[in-house]
Amino acid sequence: MLAKFQADGRKVWATFLRDARLMMSYRLAFFLDWFAIVASVVGLWFVSKLVPASAAFGSGHVATYFNYAVVNVAFVTLQGTALMCFENSIRNDQVYGTLEAVLATPTSVSLVVLAAGAWAFTFAFIQVALYLIVAALLGLDLHHVNLASLAIFLILSITATVPIGIIGAATIVRFKQTAPTQTIFGRASTVLAGVLFPISLLPLWLQAVSWLLPLTHALTGIRGAFGGASLRALSADAIWLSAATIVLLPLSLYVFRAAVISAKSDGTLGQY
Amino acid sequence: MTLGFIPWVRNVGRVERQTALESVSFGVRRGELFGILGPNGAGKSTILRIIAGLVVADSGTVRVDGIDTRSAPLAVRRKVGLCCTDDRSFYYRLSARRNLEYFGTLAGLYGAQLRERISEVVRLVDLSGDLDRRFDTFSSGMKQRLGIARGLLGDPELLILDEPTRAVDPAHAASIRAFVGNELVARQGKTVLLATNTLEEAWELCGRIAVLRRGRVVAIAPPSALDGRGIGAVRYEITIDRTDEQLLARTRGVPGVLGLTVESVGARVLLNVVLDSDPRALTELLRVVSTNGVSVSAIRPQQRRPAEIFADLVSERSDAG
Repeated sequence: MLAKFQADGRKVWATFLRDARLMMSYRLAFFLDWFAIVASVVGLWFVSKLVPASAAFGSGHVATYFNYAVVNVAFVTLQGTALMCFENSIRNDQVYGTLEAVLATPTSVSLVVLAAGAWAFTFAFIQVALYLIVAALLGLDLHHVNLASLAIFLILSITATVPIGIIGAATIVRFKQTAPTQTIFGRASTVLAGVLFPISLLPLWLQAVSWLLPLTHALTGIRGAFGGASLRALSADAIWLSAATIVLLPLSLYVFRAAVISAKSDGTLGQY
Repeated sequence: MTLGFIPWVRNVGRVERQTALESVSFGVRRGELFGILGPNGAGKSTILRIIAGLVVADSGTVRVDGIDTRSAPLAVRRKVGLCCTDDRSFYYRLSARRNLEYFGTLAGLYGAQLRERISEVVRLVDLSGDLDRRFDTFSSGMKQRLGIARGLLGDPELLILDEPTRAVDPAHAASIRAFVGNELVARQGKTVLLATNTLEEAWELCGRIAVLRRGRVVAIAPPSALDGRGIGAVRYEITIDRTDEQLLARTRGVPGVLGLTVESVGARVLLNVVLDSDPRALTELLRVVSTNGVSVSAIRPQQRRPAEIFADLVSERSDAG
């Protein structure tokens, strides 16, 4: 059991190195990503000059728009990664032509796909850190961060969104096309989860839709953690994300496994 | 009993959009170089992918060293090295070393063992000096050889080669063939399953060949025994001094005579006969000829070119035979 765990760990590490090396081989795109982050934070800082501080931006206290928006935009990166990294990995291997060579090794398909998250999430966390560093230089208040709450919400926000990404990967395996739900889900979350404006501004029925999105609860929790809120104060959102994880994660793994079996039966596993 | 056989395929069938297999059965002996020969679309790659666990057969059983590919695909893949020699089966923007490190780790190697194995396999395929070059700078022949090196990384008992000399110039194709025959099979004792549509390759390398046509095995035999319409048929050219309709009718009626044509060369007559593998067929044929008062001046066994044999085996006529 331990030996298998170690062997799987080495495979995850090898996948991490592969993905890091591939990404860094595209140097221009790699460095443009960093520039885009700096530009995004600076842009929000200028916009925030036009928006007065408000209680709507804080959890029960007056906060600046910059504090509100920059934390949201930084952590939306994690959702984007959770939604796209698995299907991107499958899609890239299909397009490179490496998928069959990878799957011909004694490695389970699930491990191959999930290992793609290793570098993707590491890179996303580095991006989030850069967002926060640049934002701190421009005045983001980091003095009240409740690290325990932040850590819990980071984990839950990933585990509640990853299943949707895995279902997207299953769609690629089975239908050879990106699921439109990924794009719709991503875009809807950006608008409805309160990334750029508080959801209290939305009509009530849209607030109800917003409540159904994992990102809404993830961002509420993360913003709360930045404001110093305890896990108890944020328990409703934590419970929502935990429940979503418990329901969606096994379901997504089942759907993915079914997609692989179906593609193997069709003989289309390596096709795109 | 499956012991002593590496891949063992019985009644495997697939209904697929493009390539269907229809009750394909064969076994491969340990240490054998077994060829799967067939025209494009015959189902060669499908069989290899079923054995490697990448495709699931709709029916039948496939075992590798006694292990069922359907119930224990990971265990099977530990014993199998699939050499995808497709140009596009590596990460183009990584070096050969980085590619082999990645695939070697997936094969279960790590640390010093992985590094040593990479050195060994690239030395075998003569790519030691190119290990740190990016894959996209490799020539077609180098890519094919790196594909073989990758298949060897996990030291598999069974090596599956899918058209290893496709898109390779003749000189490199010859060196790949020599490597497969002399190094992998003769020296290392690997069991090799080779899919190809290059006849000379199959004839030169393989101990036995399964010929596929439209998803069906139409013959399994050593190359020397593939002549005729099936396994073990033999051809002779018999020179006689004269012939007539009565003699021809009698010779065609001899048990074991599968085919007979007549050709006149000057004053002599050549009978081109195809006989089944029963040696009594030739004896009986000669008895019939001599009892008709015809003298036989020469009997020559005939070897046809692989292309002729292959064309015969995969033609529609082979269904009748």
